[in-house]
Amino acid sequence: MNNDLDIIYSRIEKLFKRMSRTRYWILVNNDPYDQSYNFFFNSQRQGERLKSVPLHKLINYDLSYLEQVIKGLRSKTNLTIEFTGFAGMKWPSTQKVIQWRREQLE
Amino acid sequence: MMMFIDKEPHGVFFLIDNKSFYASCEAVQRGFNPLKIPLVVLSEQENTNGGLILATSPEAKRLFHLKANVSRQRNLPQDPRLCVVPPRMNLYIKRNLQINQIFTEFASEQDVWPYSIDESIVDMTHSWKLFGNTPREVARVIQKTVRKRLGLYTTVGIGDNPVQAKIALDVYAKHTPELIGEIHYETVPKTIWPINNLTDVWGIGNRTAKHLNRLGIHNMYELAHKNPYLLKQEMGLIGEQLFATAWGVDRSKVSHKPVTKSASLGNSQVLPRDYLGQQEIETVIKEIGEQVAARLRHHHKLASCLSLSIGFSYAATAEDGRGGFHHALRLPPCNNNREIVKQLIFMFRQDWNGQAVRNIAVYTSRLTPDTHQQLDLFMNPNRQIKNEKLGYVIDEIHQKFGFTKLVYATSLTTGGTAIERSKLVGGHNGGNSYE
Repeated sequence: MNNDLDIIYSRIEKLFKRMSRTRYWILVNNDPYDQSYNFFFNSQRQGERLKSVPLHKLINYDLSYLEQVIKGLRSKTNLTIEFTGFAGMKWPSTQKVIQWRREQLE
Repeated sequence: MMMFIDKEPHGVFFLIDNKSFYASCEAVQRGFNPLKIPLVVLSEQENTNGGLILATSPEAKRLFHLKANVSRQRNLPQDPRLCVVPPRMNLYIKRNLQINQIFTEFASEQDVWPYSIDESIVDMTHSWKLFGNTPREVARVIQKTVRKRLGLYTTVGIGDNPVQAKIALDVYAKHTPELIGEIHYETVPKTIWPINNLTDVWGIGNRTAKHLNRLGIHNMYELAHKNPYLLKQEMGLIGEQLFATAWGVDRSKVSHKPVTKSASLGNSQVLPRDYLGQQEIETVIKEIGEQVAARLRHHHKLASCLSLSIGFSYAATAEDGRGGFHHALRLPPCNNNREIVKQLIFMFRQDWNGQAVRNIAVYTSRLTPDTHQQLDLFMNPNRQIKNEKLGYVIDEIHQKFGFTKLVYATSLTTGGTAIERSKLVGGHNGGNSYE
């Protein structure tokens, strides 16, 4: 299964340049149109434009699989993970809420 | 009362376009509403001189007054609200196919005509009654279906013929909150004639507008009331066509497939920097020549006319006085790598004296079907057949294992661009490597 995780992490490593005064985080979107989970790598230097680069697309549209991938990702990196399109959903194993409220731009 | 329009073809045509197509696709991929997020699709290929804006979302246009779509990165403000993303051409092509698939649910497949990557003409004449009471209602249903299935917003131009639909789309639909515009023969005086900016109209560009201005035409009303014979005399066939456009008349049949009189096939590229050395320029010419030859073989065609255009860099243009040169020559019908490249290099050496080069184009024309081979008195026929087969074998390897798995060593020298460009679609990031 963790081929997906390896792909995502190897791409993060290339993009995570650890520049000063720059915020880095990962965006995970629940895409109901494509039935997939999309991963993006976002970075923004203070006062500059946000840059968002696609990392990967999980074709396996299953929440518990996503939970495993996220768990694996969290063990490898401390980058913040932002979720969009998950409002009102809970992680299957822990029953914790994934995304509290919809983003303004959603 | 009889009117001239009674004899004109009447139908129900929709011209459907996607609102900021690339930007909307990217917004949806990230889970954002395409109309709310200020997002810009920026191609940062080496030859784009810092970056090319391919698409801007409506919100970005509103906030930062961005206008022309293909503008430069230097015109883009540094603002933390703005989201910049790289393009993924393959994703957009996939979406385009999905959208046209949706249209075929509303009209038969023969009545859906893709016009560009984000526009389609749909002939709803025979089927619109099945989906609503008025064409406008049907347009609304289509918009909602696309939004629900793909998350994208569409704008619809409605007309009695394609040109009315196109003008309704360009001039009216894009600026109304409903994203629908409508023009009929009866409303032409109220909708087309008041257009003051001639270049807003389909078929009129900057130069045509200037030409019309010289004739004393400054808006569509004046165009519609000019003597059509005079227009034809002055501008030829196009003058007649523009006059018809001004009256909303379009007699074209979209189902009628135009016959291409002489097809041509070729490739061109802008180089990432000024190329000075003969070696590196010839490397790129060779690469493009091979690409064109491979495409000829893919289409099972032989070319008997070959042309090479070289564009100089700005500095070299100022020095030389000409922007570049263009050469064409006839050759016995062929699609063989070696033969084509040999002729290209010959043409290049003939005319080049050390100018810096920025632009290279290779085109082939006078195409004939690849069904035969002309035997040559000066060549061993077995050798000739083998040479022919070699090209097809290389193509097969490229197709099976990918282009980069078998390249000439010269492509690895400093000038070569083939390996970098093989990842691109239409000159921009295809995005294969990400999915």
